[in-house]
Amino acid sequence: MKKYLQVFKISFQEEFAYKLNFVMWRVRNVFQIFLTFFLWSTIFANPQTVVFGYDRSKILTYVFGIMIVRALVMSARAADISSDIAQGDLSNYLLKPMTYFKYWFTRDISSKALNLIFAAVEFVLLFIILQPPFYFQINLLTLFLFFVSIVLAVFIYFFILILVSSLTFWAPELSWGGHFLITIVVVEALSGALFPINILPTTFQYIVMATPFPYLIYFPVQVYLGNITGQAILGGLIIASAWCGILWFAMNFIWQKGIKAYESTGR
Amino acid sequence: MIKKYLKIWWIMSKNSFVMVLSQRLSLSVFLVGKILRFMFFFLFLFFILKGAGTLAGYSGTQVIFFFLTFSVVDVISQFLFREVYRFRPMIVNGDFDFVLVKPINSLFRVLLGGADVIDLITIPPLIIATIYFGVLLKPNLLGIVLYLALLLNGFLIAAAFHILILSLAIITMEIDHVTMIYRDIVSLGRLPVDIYKQPLQMFLTYLIPVGVMVTLPAKAAMGVVAPWGVVSAFVVGIISIFISLRFWNYALTKYTSASS
Repeated sequence: MKKYLQVFKISFQEEFAYKLNFVMWRVRNVFQIFLTFFLWSTIFANPQTVVFGYDRSKILTYVFGIMIVRALVMSARAADISSDIAQGDLSNYLLKPMTYFKYWFTRDISSKALNLIFAAVEFVLLFIILQPPFYFQINLLTLFLFFVSIVLAVFIYFFILILVSSLTFWAPELSWGGHFLITIVVVEALSGALFPINILPTTFQYIVMATPFPYLIYFPVQVYLGNITGQAILGGLIIASAWCGILWFAMNFIWQKGIKAYESTGR
Repeated sequence: MIKKYLKIWWIMSKNSFVMVLSQRLSLSVFLVGKILRFMFFFLFLFFILKGAGTLAGYSGTQVIFFFLTFSVVDVISQFLFREVYRFRPMIVNGDFDFVLVKPINSLFRVLLGGADVIDLITIPPLIIATIYFGVLLKPNLLGIVLYLALLLNGFLIAAAFHILILSLAIITMEIDHVTMIYRDIVSLGRLPVDIYKQPLQMFLTYLIPVGVMVTLPAKAAMGVVAPWGVVSAFVVGIISIFISLRFWNYALTKYTSASS
């Protein structure tokens, strides 16, 4: 445990070593929020408008919710595993007396902590500048379930990152391409980071909700907004837990196969 | 002179294509990713407009035409200026020396020296879709001429931005995030800049003229641009390229040839 605490500290400090990179990354997040915020703000310019079951207050809370949930779920370093595999750096870690996955999970947690701090500051600043109507959830049980859904989302995202990175064992040239296709394009669209999934026609919604992606952002934010209640929350949490289990199993299975195929190229 | 540079561009592009085509799996993955990203946003707009009807007073067809016009400028800029994304290692390693000593314009080499075959594949269907939705808007001849002229002006501004990024790379050795921030800002033009509140709208119209680059051409096709708007767009385009070229010349004087 102590060594992972050190990894956490070092990783946290490392982010500060490249301050400009980090600041630029946060600036990019703000610009992405602008597009979504103003788009929805224009559609709901009339406060009485209700579209797709959302009113102005709930949709703008959804947009602001994305900012915090993204920082918690999608701030991660585990995507770097691909380059470790492609460049042969994985060998260094395999020789060390620690679990490779725990090492990267610790680094992810460190990244999340730092990003959460900055996201909270941005949240306050944008809140003051844009002055959106905001829906504050006060039900403690809902807040607890929101927390549980976030924890499950963190694990799902971690497992997806490792699974995508594992492709590099067999196709080193895909170290960035795989993440571009899955982590950036597919996850971005189907997680609810671009739009709430329930604006889609019902059939599309069923298909998307059967994948693990909406449990990363859409589901937690919906729980917070109180749009999902009772058995639907329980059902969602069960599906998210099931995806956790499936992805964990798939990750271990593929990783073991990958390690056997690993040739430490470049070392 | 133009013939010589066209020939050089063709040779450089051919080399770049051969390099990308040699990694077919990677090419396929990136191509699928780009097509999916486009489709996801297109579907998002489609469903949103189905529910909301209009956006800032624009009809569904008009909003999709704005998005397609943005995509044309964005994808063709990426196709032409892809080499900009590879400039940083050249500066960090000092390999830019080899470009400077060659008897061709160094800016031409680093700006247009690596056309992207993946973007090239996506250009024809994108243009067909833009024409299809453009025709639905029933523009008059003047609207079409202004649309094409302002589109060219948009490419000029895009070129100016990329020259600024290259210049900043020489001075600060930072390029990756600046490029991505540029792309994020330009992405705000996926929708008409009218949806943004002040001062962001003014920022996107005058300071970083995304509105002039992508929103104005589409508005011209719809016949909703005043003559002074067209004139000021060309003025912005000319000033942008003039400033960026001056900044490039200044940046060259700061090149240290580090590590070479």
